[in-house]
Amino acid sequence: MKRGSAAAPEPILAARGITKRFPGVLALDDVDLDVYPGEIHAVLGQNGAGKTTLMNILFGLVQPDEGTLEVFGRRVRFRSPHDALTHGIGMVHQTRRLVSAHTVLENIVLGHPRVRGVLNLRAARTEVETLGNRYGFTVDLGARVWQLSEGERQWVEILKALYRGARILILDEPTSALTPPEVKTLLAGLQGLVRGQGITVILVTHKLPIVMSASHRVTVLRSGKVVVRLKTAEATEEILVHHMVGRDVAFRSTDRALPTGRPLLEAEQLAAFNDKGLLALRGVSFSLREGEVLGVAGVTGNGQEELAQVLAGLRPAASGSVRFDGQDITRLSPLQRWQRGIGYVPAERSEVASIAAFSLVENITLNYHFDPAFTRRGVLDDAGLERLTQRILSAYNVKAPHQHTRAQHLSGGNLQKLILGRVLSRRPRFLIAHLPTHGLDVEATAFVRASLLDARAAGAAVLLVSEDLDEILSLSDWVAPIYEGRFGAVLSREEADAETVGAMMAGSLLKGARGQ
Amino acid sequence: MWELLARSLEASTIFLFAALGELISQRAGVLNVGLEGLMLFGGTAAFITAQTTSSYPLGLLAGLAIGGFLGLAHGFFCITLRGDQVVSGMGLWILSFGLTTYLGNPYTGPLGLERVPRFFGLSPFYPLGVMLVATAWFLLFRTSHGLAIRSVGENPGAAEASGIPVAVIRYLCVTSGGILAGLSGATYTLSYNPVWNYNFLMGWGFVSLALVFFSMWNPWILLAGASLFGIMWQLSLSPELVLPGVLSRYVWRTVPFAITIPILCVISTPWFRTRWGLAKPEALGRPYAKE
Repeated sequence: MKRGSAAAPEPILAARGITKRFPGVLALDDVDLDVYPGEIHAVLGQNGAGKTTLMNILFGLVQPDEGTLEVFGRRVRFRSPHDALTHGIGMVHQTRRLVSAHTVLENIVLGHPRVRGVLNLRAARTEVETLGNRYGFTVDLGARVWQLSEGERQWVEILKALYRGARILILDEPTSALTPPEVKTLLAGLQGLVRGQGITVILVTHKLPIVMSASHRVTVLRSGKVVVRLKTAEATEEILVHHMVGRDVAFRSTDRALPTGRPLLEAEQLAAFNDKGLLALRGVSFSLREGEVLGVAGVTGNGQEELAQVLAGLRPAASGSVRFDGQDITRLSPLQRWQRGIGYVPAERSEVASIAAFSLVENITLNYHFDPAFTRRGVLDDAGLERLTQRILSAYNVKAPHQHTRAQHLSGGNLQKLILGRVLSRRPRFLIAHLPTHGLDVEATAFVRASLLDARAAGAAVLLVSEDLDEILSLSDWVAPIYEGRFGAVLSREEADAETVGAMMAGSLLKGARGQ
Repeated sequence: MWELLARSLEASTIFLFAALGELISQRAGVLNVGLEGLMLFGGTAAFITAQTTSSYPLGLLAGLAIGGFLGLAHGFFCITLRGDQVVSGMGLWILSFGLTTYLGNPYTGPLGLERVPRFFGLSPFYPLGVMLVATAWFLLFRTSHGLAIRSVGENPGAAEASGIPVAVIRYLCVTSGGILAGLSGATYTLSYNPVWNYNFLMGWGFVSLALVFFSMWNPWILLAGASLFGIMWQLSLSPELVLPGVLSRYVWRTVPFAITIPILCVISTPWFRTRWGLAKPEALGRPYAKE
């Protein structure tokens, strides 16, 4: 390798010709990645583009079939995360890798080579506190991880990586579970690390605004290949989408026409307990007309799951009532609600909304077994169900080899389209959509959003629960930020701007409102 | 009275060894429901070896070795092959039950060696058990290795990402658990009741397994639970020593089991778990696969 001049510094981390095959899939195909010291390098791509595989290779969790890695100018071969850590690479995974029953400090020292034998937590505490002060984080080291918010947990992981001596920090989808203010804090913190401490950050994401606002350089992956490398300053969101998807994608948003449908649903002071027996939903009221979308914006764990389940009949309401089409349905079973035209798209695609080991036809049947059109004296009409499945697969653009394929073989996006197709094909009058685009790539997201808007146009009332503020704002007629089981307000689309809703999602305006 | 207590504490030791091994193994996330099988095998191997060589140390060693080997085998099924831990454990129990019946049958009868020496009627195994409890507690809660073990049992993904070799830790814990189960079986056949007969344990292993859940995975509570159970067990065998004439001995015989069931039911309620914190290792019973 040539000695770099001052104008073109050598990459601090260089991957050359990385290829990785999984059974039946070429996950990475001859990928090169150059990361320069002291930059925030964004790696952008859709689901299945190979971003996470590439990062797992950089962190030693996965070994490449071909290709080489150079870190700090030295050829390296990582057999485990331990090797990567000793070479100064730390990783913050998309799902938290913390032991929730342990304290923050225990988590930070876990696996540290200097903390061996009898635990001297007092000495470690001083070290971690010093480090935290230097980087400007304050976390209660004695708190148990399960008591922390998602944003705090992320800082714990970052601090942990820094305590291990990481100079290169990989963050995989770091913003996915954060409130907008938390995202802002995170990005500002990362910029501080890069500027003040000379840390290099690799930021893996599929969110364009994050790339545009935080990164210096961006590498776009598509189907396991690098499509383009750009300086962020030279890129625009449109250019990046084009490279990421391979063509242009248009997002539809709600038209401005005022909904004039009949009043359909009325929820009054709904409250419910969560699985731990704590009151998670604490009195929520709203009403919906036909053809309206109510967007419930909030970070997971603020009572939205309980709200969706109470409306779907899966969880008893502790108090309050729901009226649907003038009738009290608070105590009706899920089946009675389906029969009245209430449809539910659960957040857990493969755990609740579908059965992984069942075929697509059987999964479609889950919402049709009670339908007299498809069952005669308890015997299912197989041929009819197969025709129905075929119709749903083509209408909802589900890519599946066969209608008897097991649901577990579908990608997240295709599975979601199947579920959505199953629910919407029943033409529900009221639809509960819980995190319908969570974790989906750009194309599937656009399709799901368009389907929700089609249902709205056909006169259905929609309750959309989402963590994605842009999604809420582009689809909803009404916006209800939820925090700790209460709506901050029910805002009309005109009143709802990103700042107000974001602040309410984080609970900040609620406190003021309560104080008045 | 003292004799009864000494005898009870020896019974406790048998529960304690097996349950302590299981506790360590479960703290690392591996459940071994075949504990009874490991004890049967350890006890039988110890008995046969001691009788043929007339040596207690060799017998004990044989018991530890076979226990450790079976623990290792369980580890191979659960860790390397990522099999179902319950199925593997049940398999080990059935296998051990059958094989020890076959192998031990010719040796049916008393051991025929001079009894293991006692101090004031107390077997030397009880103090050993208390020492092991203290060691296990210190290891689990005061050392980095213990932190690693507990992390592997709670969230192996987090442990792996912190550079902890998950598989190695699990193997070590399951094997140590097996060795302790072997020790437990050997204690039974060499010291507590040195007579071999068909299925001599009759459920001691399963009671030990229940004790681990009872202990909330804490060695000190385990010591208390094992001692309590040892006393109840012994009492149920000879109730006339304490309360002569009250109830039939057959009723007394059910007492340890009758008490176990409600205790386990209460402990397994969500109410109890939330009240007393997240004691159960989160990843218990789940095989770990990278990625």
